[in-house]
Amino acid sequence: MTTNNDVVVRTEHLTKHYGKLVAVDDLNLEVHRGEVFGFLGPNGSGKSTTMCMMLGLIAPTSGNIEIFGLSVKSNLADILGKVGAVMESPGFYPYLSGWDNLKVFARISRNVTDNRMKDVLKLVDLADRAQDKFSGYSQGMKQRLAIACALLHDPEFIIFDEPTSGLDPAGMKEIRELLIRLGQEGKTIFLNSHLLHEVELVCDHVAIIKKGKMIASGAPNDLIKHGDTLQIRVTDTDKAVALLNEEDWVSSITREGDLLILKAPAKRATDISALLAQNGVFISEMKAREDSLESFFLELTEEETVD
Amino acid sequence: MIDQIRVELFKLRKRKITWIMIIVLAAFFCLIFFAVYGITANPPARMPHEGLEIMRNLITFPDAFKMIFSTAQNIGAILLTIIVASSVGNEYGWGTIRQTLIRKGIRYQYVVSKLVAFVVYALIGIVIAFIIGFCLALLTTQWVKGALNWDFITVSYIGELFTMYGWTFYGLFVYILLAILLSLVGRSAIVGIGGTLGYYFVESIAISIFSQSGGWLSEIPNYLIGHNITAILPTTMMQGPFASSGALPSTLYASIVLAIYCVVFLGLSLYLFKRRDVTA
Repeated sequence: MTTNNDVVVRTEHLTKHYGKLVAVDDLNLEVHRGEVFGFLGPNGSGKSTTMCMMLGLIAPTSGNIEIFGLSVKSNLADILGKVGAVMESPGFYPYLSGWDNLKVFARISRNVTDNRMKDVLKLVDLADRAQDKFSGYSQGMKQRLAIACALLHDPEFIIFDEPTSGLDPAGMKEIRELLIRLGQEGKTIFLNSHLLHEVELVCDHVAIIKKGKMIASGAPNDLIKHGDTLQIRVTDTDKAVALLNEEDWVSSITREGDLLILKAPAKRATDISALLAQNGVFISEMKAREDSLESFFLELTEEETVD
Repeated sequence: MIDQIRVELFKLRKRKITWIMIIVLAAFFCLIFFAVYGITANPPARMPHEGLEIMRNLITFPDAFKMIFSTAQNIGAILLTIIVASSVGNEYGWGTIRQTLIRKGIRYQYVVSKLVAFVVYALIGIVIAFIIGFCLALLTTQWVKGALNWDFITVSYIGELFTMYGWTFYGLFVYILLAILLSLVGRSAIVGIGGTLGYYFVESIAISIFSQSGGWLSEIPNYLIGHNITAILPTTMMQGPFASSGALPSTLYASIVLAIYCVVFLGLSLYLFKRRDVTA
């Protein structure tokens, strides 16, 4: 059971219109304390708009957003003192060094010391390049500076919009580990990433939106279980299809060459085996197909390009 | 708020364009003083003696002070527009506006702290212009008159210098606010620079056209920024190439008109910035 204190973010009937275009449509979501929350959706599905509304950059057309129990509309300054955000394109002054950029944002945050700035630079492995101009940074370094900047004031809730964008595999792994570590430290993380494998690895809870509407929400494992898939090779595929189609717990059967792909609960494996054997069809191979968040996501969003 | 103003001043100080504009300001001062001196040293044959005398006065003390402040206002308006509009507009292009707003969230503070930083910069800029102009006038006075005479320096004259300083700043302040407004409206430096300088130059053409027409058209310049700034400029009290040709409103009238413009520009900037979504 969750109490109000456990809820870090709550949106109620959150809606944003741009003229006739509905960017976010009656979105209700809750992010709980200490949770790593994955927010997924195809391009233009309203993810960035939702994040910008949480940060007070975009005003909702209707609905409410509460962060730490306070309304974003009337308590934005107090809320932002406890929130950090890494936006997809890191916004920094190209003519300033990494250190000076951090200094600019540290001075307008509360209680950020030079030591804290050094600590966050070390954390993202930028301490050696802190005096270099931002304009000379690689995309990965820019992203790491953005993460350092978001962590400056030790926020309780951190929004990450594509944090691994532009990073090499090693950099992605580092960020993934950082996200897990922040989660373990009790920070609440709101993560938008198009790398679904990454989301699957780090998130406790996932919400998928499409055309501004929430279409699925739950723990990654629970979501994936919706699509239990079995792969079988049999002696007579036509007869097997006819037999299995009679069973109401088989939701779909597709052929992939001489393989049959069944959407059916994995616990029905023995029932399948018995049914086919009783009717003279023998299974030469049966295994559970590893479903992933990615396949679930693509299924839900009709294979639109993921952003 | 104080921290944010300090941050804005820090950013201005660290930008190359800030220092480039000061060098350009110094170059303009040198150009103007030496060009006028060149004309007075080798006057065209047809130049009347009276005209030559006015030009000599412009680059020699005490009238050189009026010349210094008027030049600071005229050139300063253009240079400040570039700095202000690029400083405000580029925040959208760099995405730093978002980064700033997600830390504070209080939007009026953002606009006001920028404004205060530009005011400080303009006040310092006028002092720098004064020092450059003063040094140049020392030279040209020496060359034209052969010796420096400081008899005109009295307590009341020093007070007059501060008044000129104030009017010069007031004239610049209107353009600072216009550049902020247009940069916020267009969410870009180009719109801010182009819009403000475009207005500056088109208005000066319009003023000369309207001033020469008759009837109600000739009244229009009395409601325009440039004409009212001219009315408060120190060189207005002088004659010669830097004085206005048309009839000017009184200083009080000009001050009120400019104050109305200031209130409108600032009010619109704050209103628009508060109301609009920041998606850059």
